[in-house]
Amino acid sequence: MADRQPILVPLRVLEGESVPEGVPGLLANAHVVLLGYHVIPEQTAPGQARLQFEERARARLDEHEAIFETAGATVERRLVFTHDGQKTIDRTIHEHDCMAVLVPNAIGAVDDVLVAVRGTVGVDRLTRVVASVFAALDTSITLYHVAEASETDEDIETLLGGMRDRLERLGVDGSRIETRTERQRAPLDAIVDAAKTFDAVVMGETDPSLATFVFGLPADQVADRFLGPVLVVQREREADE
Amino acid sequence: MAEEPVDVETAGQNVAGEVPATEPDAVTDDTTVHDDDVELERTIGLVGGLAIGIGTMIGAGIFVFPGLAATNAGLAATISFAIGGLIALLVALPTSELATAMPRSGGGYYFISRGMGTAYGAIVGLGLWLGLMFASAFYLVGLGHYASAVFGALGVGLPFSPVVGIGLLFGAALTALSIGGTENTAKLQNAVVGILLVVLTAFLSYGVLDAVGAFGGRSVPEQFFSRGYFPVLTTAALVFTSYLGFAQVATVAGEIKQPSRNLPLAMVGSVLVVTVFYVVTIFVATSAFGADRLGQFGETAMVEVAREFLGVPGAVAILVGGLLATFSSANASILSASRAVYALSRDALLPRKASEVNLRYGTPHVALLAAGGPILALVATGQVELLAEVASFLHLVMYGLLCIALLVLRRRNPEWYEPSYRVPGYPVLPASGALTSFGLIVFMQPASIAIGIVVMLLSYLWYRYYAGDVTLKGDI
Repeated sequence: MADRQPILVPLRVLEGESVPEGVPGLLANAHVVLLGYHVIPEQTAPGQARLQFEERARARLDEHEAIFETAGATVERRLVFTHDGQKTIDRTIHEHDCMAVLVPNAIGAVDDVLVAVRGTVGVDRLTRVVASVFAALDTSITLYHVAEASETDEDIETLLGGMRDRLERLGVDGSRIETRTERQRAPLDAIVDAAKTFDAVVMGETDPSLATFVFGLPADQVADRFLGPVLVVQREREADE
Repeated sequence: MAEEPVDVETAGQNVAGEVPATEPDAVTDDTTVHDDDVELERTIGLVGGLAIGIGTMIGAGIFVFPGLAATNAGLAATISFAIGGLIALLVALPTSELATAMPRSGGGYYFISRGMGTAYGAIVGLGLWLGLMFASAFYLVGLGHYASAVFGALGVGLPFSPVVGIGLLFGAALTALSIGGTENTAKLQNAVVGILLVVLTAFLSYGVLDAVGAFGGRSVPEQFFSRGYFPVLTTAALVFTSYLGFAQVATVAGEIKQPSRNLPLAMVGSVLVVTVFYVVTIFVATSAFGADRLGQFGETAMVEVAREFLGVPGAVAILVGGLLATFSSANASILSASRAVYALSRDALLPRKASEVNLRYGTPHVALLAAGGPILALVATGQVELLAEVASFLHLVMYGLLCIALLVLRRRNPEWYEPSYRVPGYPVLPASGALTSFGLIVFMQPASIAIGIVVMLLSYLWYRYYAGDVTLKGDI
């Protein structure tokens, strides 16, 4: 049985964002870091917003915490008043060593999940998250890889086969794992297309680059175009970052 | 900096039965922590802090005062600005120490109320709020002068002076924008300050070269102390309004990232930067025209200096710069005033209602109106020098008390007082800071001193009436 992995669930708790249906079930075997945050304009001091909104925000978070705990997750929670939501999310990921972040979109039952495998980098964390979340669920898991021209079939077999073996060792039933490869496509579009027939997506975060600066992180783009929940596995942070 | 415990207990209640909000459990590099799991994120970095300090200050010293200062003190006005910078530095260093020990919103008010007790805190806190109003009104009248100069440059003759009207218009617009606007004004503020510094550096470099005769042009030979020695000090008191901004960095101390590093750097850094700019500006401006002619140009003298050096494009650049600078100064002051109201209301010195956040915009509408409304009344007076001096008076009282608070805290050395930055030259430096701050007040006009004293008296009476039972002082 895989260890529970810490997974961040950020919610704009006072703007009516709540835990969508199906999500607590999906994270039943995770350690949920529940982050309720409220973004305020610069004119307002964060402490000022706290004076007025803490009680309401706490009540909402209590409800969400109870929902996750009922589903079986362990929960740790934070309530943050901030001028910069992204900074708060990044900091919480770092401080709580979150393996992945959930972009909470609604789902029904999770019957199948698409796991986008980018390459050998980060595959370890990806494997641990998938095993932790899905080992005890009855979900079929598709390992999906968009190959580059230079990759041979053998390379791909090593990558996906290796991941399948590790998942089995971590307690995932091998008969539930499938693999799928595609070639000659832009990875992002391919993932979005493939995801259409799945209930949830697990993918890695990519390193920030100029392209991500202009177009946004690929994971965010997928989350915007795919309507179900996306688990974004975080890259390993440097200790001093 | 690991988690630093905060150990100040507040007690008592005000007339309305409100008690001071609880103090936080801990302060970290990124947050202020309440009740273990509620965090207030710190989001302002060093650049943001410097922009607040410089942006608040640079509007007045460069774009409003040169003409007035030259009339009063001649070329020696350069020294007046240097004196102001020195006093500001003597206060900025102790304030930095206090701020790293207590990086909380409210700045000077917070440090004094915790170090010296509620009565001093109330006088300083209410004085800071009102002082910022006087400062904002002063900047807005300056803005009015610049906007009028635009009309003048366009050749639009108006049958009346539009200065006060424009100041009122912008004051109302700024208040409305702060209440209803959710745009990212901090980024805009950073950009404005950056542009101003670039334009000024270019302009002043040219001016200095010209003044020392690099272009073989005329230089106006002039006696340095053409008005004598005493006016140098009265002018220093007048132009001290140009140095109020570093304290505004402390009013957002609760939102500064890595406070132990960024607060001292932002406060001391902004004072040093603006001092250099002011001194060079006055030197260039007085060298270009001589003090007498410069004085005749009044508040917008810098436009004429730029026209002299660089022709119409120069005049336009400085005109635009003056509009931006006075606008950003007024904006920053209104926001700081609203933070001061919040800090007072958090501590039950003002009704809790005053820091209420608007449900639609998420902005503190009551606090912003409490700042913006009186500002309009002050703008209507149109008295540049009086507004500036009262603002300086109220800040100087706070500055002096800040230095004394530091002396008291160092002496008693309570357990919770653990600044990560310690001021050098203790006790001489903070003592000089206190003496020079109070000393400068003496050189102000009697009217300014009288208004300042009345404001302090009213603040004290309000405290006795409204919150006489509230204890804010840390255990020392």
